[in-house]
Amino acid sequence: MSISAPRYAAGTVVRTGRGSRILAIASREFFRRARAATLLSVSLTFFVVVTVIVVTVFFASLLGTANAGDFETVYESPVWPFLMLIVAASAGAGSLADDVGDRSISLYLSRPVHLVDYVAAKTVACGGWLLISTVGPGLTGVAVTAALGYASASVLLAAIAGFVATGFVAAVFFTGLALGLSSLTNRALYSGVAIFGVVLVLYIGGSIVAGITGNIYVPYANPIENIRSVAHGAFGLSGTTATEPAASAVTLVGAGVVLWVFALWRMRRVEVISE
Amino acid sequence: MTDPVIQAMDVTKRYGEVLGLNGFNATIGPGITGLIGPNGAGKSTLFRLLVGQLKVDAGELRILGYNPWGEGEFRRKVGYCPEHSTLLEWMTARDFVTSLLRVDGFPKEEAIERATRAIATVGLTEAQDRALATYSKGMRQRIKLAQSIAHDPELILLDEPLNGVDPVGRATVMSLLRKLQQSGRHVLVSSHVLYEVERLTDQIVMITNGRAIAEGDLHRIRDLIDAHPHVIDIETPDPRRVARVLSTMDHVVSVEFPGDGRLRVRSRSPEEFYRALPGLVVQEGLDIRAVGSADDNLDAVFRYLSEGSR
Repeated sequence: MSISAPRYAAGTVVRTGRGSRILAIASREFFRRARAATLLSVSLTFFVVVTVIVVTVFFASLLGTANAGDFETVYESPVWPFLMLIVAASAGAGSLADDVGDRSISLYLSRPVHLVDYVAAKTVACGGWLLISTVGPGLTGVAVTAALGYASASVLLAAIAGFVATGFVAAVFFTGLALGLSSLTNRALYSGVAIFGVVLVLYIGGSIVAGITGNIYVPYANPIENIRSVAHGAFGLSGTTATEPAASAVTLVGAGVVLWVFALWRMRRVEVISE
Repeated sequence: MTDPVIQAMDVTKRYGEVLGLNGFNATIGPGITGLIGPNGAGKSTLFRLLVGQLKVDAGELRILGYNPWGEGEFRRKVGYCPEHSTLLEWMTARDFVTSLLRVDGFPKEEAIERATRAIATVGLTEAQDRALATYSKGMRQRIKLAQSIAHDPELILLDEPLNGVDPVGRATVMSLLRKLQQSGRHVLVSSHVLYEVERLTDQIVMITNGRAIAEGDLHRIRDLIDAHPHVIDIETPDPRRVARVLSTMDHVVSVEFPGDGRLRVRSRSPEEFYRALPGLVVQEGLDIRAVGSADDNLDAVFRYLSEGSR
């Protein structure tokens, strides 16, 4: 085996800025999560959402009544939140937990990055997968129905706005949830299970408590109910929902941000002990 | 006088009830310095404090003049090779080093070029496009070393870099460390295998139970232990008779019989012992086959000092 001393380049290398360094971590994390479980869950989401949209809008167009509400049907099904939980668990449960578990966080944090940069990068990667899953299928469904000529341009534009608004709010919430729970453990499996557990407990428990007490504020604790309400408002549907769409959007985004701050707070207290 | 590269003043770090470092004091100068201590002594804790991953609970720590906690930018000047850090298994070695250089802030082309060069430096060019999952433990250690030097740091912190590396790899790493020193870099290298550090440098810091028990030139540290008895092993077919003769020497404090024709003598004055021994052999007609000193290596020094600190 031969060995030689490193030869260092002469001159000063202009370093990239903080944003580029965050993106370097984010892109690596994004591709790290491009594994079978994530790709499968995202693909399944695309298939289900696009199919539901195309079939619903097709039948509506036969009656000559295709409108933005037909696109919103997908949010009424329990399948959509279930798919989001799978995506959040597969793309986000290990975001922080894996690095703490295998101690590779040491490699990042020995670089000229702050902890907040590191968590921001993980947010970009996890949020990227979730945005793809929350917004992408809806827009694809709109594109397909447009290509097939099932709906008018104004309806399609309203549907695009609805999918973007609802998808963004849902992505913020699920990203915050995934990171917050991922920061609590060093095993992705535990945080993945917790993502399902927290949402299902709030969904089922919230529905039961709201039914028993009749308290109008309890449904705000139910993320699925909030997302449906946001979708209802974003697609411009008439009729009442259990929660106010705007208040639900604020609740979901607020919860996502609080959970993100919690993740950052937790990571500040993580000390990787190897001895 | 040259500024210290690292200065620790009464540094204490607690993990709940457990003390990682306990009033650690050391001044580490330029060149290669060995950090020696058994597992659990506090070496990895010190490294994490030095790169700002942990916060000092009490005392003060300066590295290249910086307080490492909260100073993100100074890490450009520091390369860190953690002991246990798992590599990102799905990546190739070149992608791994390149992506960490991107986190350092190097533009893409520059990062690729530096990664290739650093991998060549640790002798892994042929394996650079293989997934890290296929690497042996020794190769993993070397690729971690590559990522720690690729950005041309002033100070390189290596936590047990020779752990698990095969003999050829060890020679490679040791040679590299010497060349880094020659090119003006400072290196703090930890090990619990004492002879490895002894071959690298005379500048050492000994740590046990979270405290520095000795620091400085190895030979000066050896002077410190003169008050402690030195161990001398003797091979003889008649250990009892040899023991009877040697125990008459004033500086011999104990004689033990480990068995198999061996005798272990503890002397407060090894020089006097070795001077007097040939005369006694002739005068008393002693049959001594071999004489060896356990003090010939750093291990003995450490043992003496760590026993003295308890």
